[in-house]
Amino acid sequence: MSLPTDFGPDSGGRIKGLVIVKPIVYGNVARYFGKKREEDGHTHQWSVYVKPYSNEDMSAYIKKIHFKLHESYVNPNRIVTKPPYELTETGWGEFEIVIKIYFHDPNERPVTLYHILKLFQSPVSEGNSPIGRALVSESYEEIVFQEPTQLMQHLLSNVKPVTNGQWAHDTNFEDKKDKTLERIVSAQAKVRNEISELKQKLQLAKETITKFKEEIAKVQNNPSQSVLSAV
Amino acid sequence: MADILDILDIEQPGASEITRESIIHGDKAKKKYVTTKAVRRPEGMHREVFALLYNDNKDLPPLLPTDTGKAYKQTKAKLGMRKVRKWVWAPFTNPARKDNAVFHHWKRAADEAKEYPFAQFNKQVSIPSYSESEYNQYLKSEDWSQAESDHLMDLCQRFDLRFIVIHDRWDRAAFRDRSVEDLKERYYNICAILSKVKTNPWSNTVTMVNGEKRVYHYDAEHERKRKEQLKRLFERTQEQIDEEQMLLAELKKIEARKRERERKTQDLQKLISRADSGNGITNSQASIVNDGPNTPTSAVSNIARRHDRKLHKKKLTTQQRPIRTVETVTVEWSGIKFPEARGTGVWLRSQRMKLPPGVGQRKTKAIEQELRLMNIDIAPTPTEAICKHFNELRSDLALALDLKNALASYEFELQALRHQYEALNPGKTLNIPASICNSNADGEAKPVGEIIDVVGSPSALNTTI
Repeated sequence: MSLPTDFGPDSGGRIKGLVIVKPIVYGNVARYFGKKREEDGHTHQWSVYVKPYSNEDMSAYIKKIHFKLHESYVNPNRIVTKPPYELTETGWGEFEIVIKIYFHDPNERPVTLYHILKLFQSPVSEGNSPIGRALVSESYEEIVFQEPTQLMQHLLSNVKPVTNGQWAHDTNFEDKKDKTLERIVSAQAKVRNEISELKQKLQLAKETITKFKEEIAKVQNNPSQSVLSAV
Repeated sequence: MADILDILDIEQPGASEITRESIIHGDKAKKKYVTTKAVRRPEGMHREVFALLYNDNKDLPPLLPTDTGKAYKQTKAKLGMRKVRKWVWAPFTNPARKDNAVFHHWKRAADEAKEYPFAQFNKQVSIPSYSESEYNQYLKSEDWSQAESDHLMDLCQRFDLRFIVIHDRWDRAAFRDRSVEDLKERYYNICAILSKVKTNPWSNTVTMVNGEKRVYHYDAEHERKRKEQLKRLFERTQEQIDEEQMLLAELKKIEARKRERERKTQDLQKLISRADSGNGITNSQASIVNDGPNTPTSAVSNIARRHDRKLHKKKLTTQQRPIRTVETVTVEWSGIKFPEARGTGVWLRSQRMKLPPGVGQRKTKAIEQELRLMNIDIAPTPTEAICKHFNELRSDLALALDLKNALASYEFELQALRHQYEALNPGKTLNIPASICNSNADGEAKPVGEIIDVVGSPSALNTTI
């Protein structure tokens, strides 16, 4: 990777109106030993990672990734400077891992992700997952570079693919995205119907209140009449 | 040691005379802490443990709890055996006295040469004087004869301008009775005229400001009015005082009621305009769903709901409350306002989906509950489109919740009115339209026509026996 040096005096300047989006996937895989390990009581081997969503080498713009583990680990602050941005450990419990991504341009502030390390399948009744089969818990995220610096823009747009082969994920995010969007949009339609309905009801309620008041005023103004009519 | 030396009348070389300072602060200056060089805390020892073993003095810690008494150090008088200052019985003359009378008192030997200190408080007022020709030339008055003026100036001199006393001693046999204000007016008038004419300054009536003479102007008319007012205030009867209190309390009540009324009107107005504008914006913005016609705003009765105001406290602070603008509708965004795109830098898409801090806990919970009911993840996969729609959806949900609350309170009000009517007009009742009543139970859409019809037909509101 050649770093161009001719950005000039205003190399720190930002490019107006430009937005670059880099989708990523972060999470963990976990594998059950099958039994509790004698020496330290650990039950799982797990790996926490940050991957590009599309097939590209993130080291072009990422300087390092800082994984902050539970304090009971020796040296809980782990820093990974090269892809794959991944960290493998063993343990027995779930905890929140703080993932901080630093960029090559120091003018761009690092971003922080939070991932709950997952070792066990959600329904506890199912028990531990069978030996050898990995459990995957990963999330989709988008890093948005709003008006990046010139240096950053250069780095972001000159990325090489990670592999020549297929780049796939365990989770089908495209499918998930479509379904989620669909569900949200239909819910939106429903809620909006509800709102306009509620508004009509409110209107009706308001009018009815006015009428009720008029009726009451009528009765109050000529009580004799109403008494007569009641009789 | 010191007392022996004192008894033997041997001068102590170091003993200085005591002063106030030395009594209170003692000889602190002399005492210096002998600070030993700090003992380093061994690695791994807790600070608290270390502090038990080593304190500043390197003394052993006391075995019994010591009572330190008061929290703050009291200044204690240090009374030691030191030389006292001498007092002498001495004669003195008071310079303020004109008769040179000699009295005796105790005084410090050191102060013997000083003048009697209280003489300085005998202040003299300088009263202007005038000759006969001056009087005839400048001071003639229709109301005041010269003899009367002379009498006034004489009394002023004698009683140091204490006008109440002057008024009391006024020679009522020779001159007609005059009020304190009259006397003051005449006196200050004379002073003013004389200070203009003559050059010698009367210390108390003339002050020099920027080289210009300033004469004290006595406003007799104002003084008379002021005294009259005070007199009247003083002479009020108890009934009058009570009445005034009562009126003030009434005024407060009226104002409070007025404010309450205005607030209610505005709150209702706010709710309606929010509902309308919310509809308008969603139509223009989303272009995905086109939901029903915009509800037109109608005239508003001044009933409003209190709780609604609470829910929208944040909104209220950001915009000016219109005062009694019942008919106008201000267009504003409703539901939740998510922050706009920020300036520059890197951020995560999911941050966009955070609810702004203004949304309360209760509301957040309610929205999440609704989302769960609709089987939507409360933290969906963050793409741009999902972010946008998800935020819109939650905003709509917030609005819907508000509207539901408003409707519930309207319903309550209708019930109350019906009861009122029934009480006034026994045997009769009013019909509340069905669609309002079971607002909780039926979430399903109802034909619009039906609802309108219920209200539109007069029979619905007619009383039935």
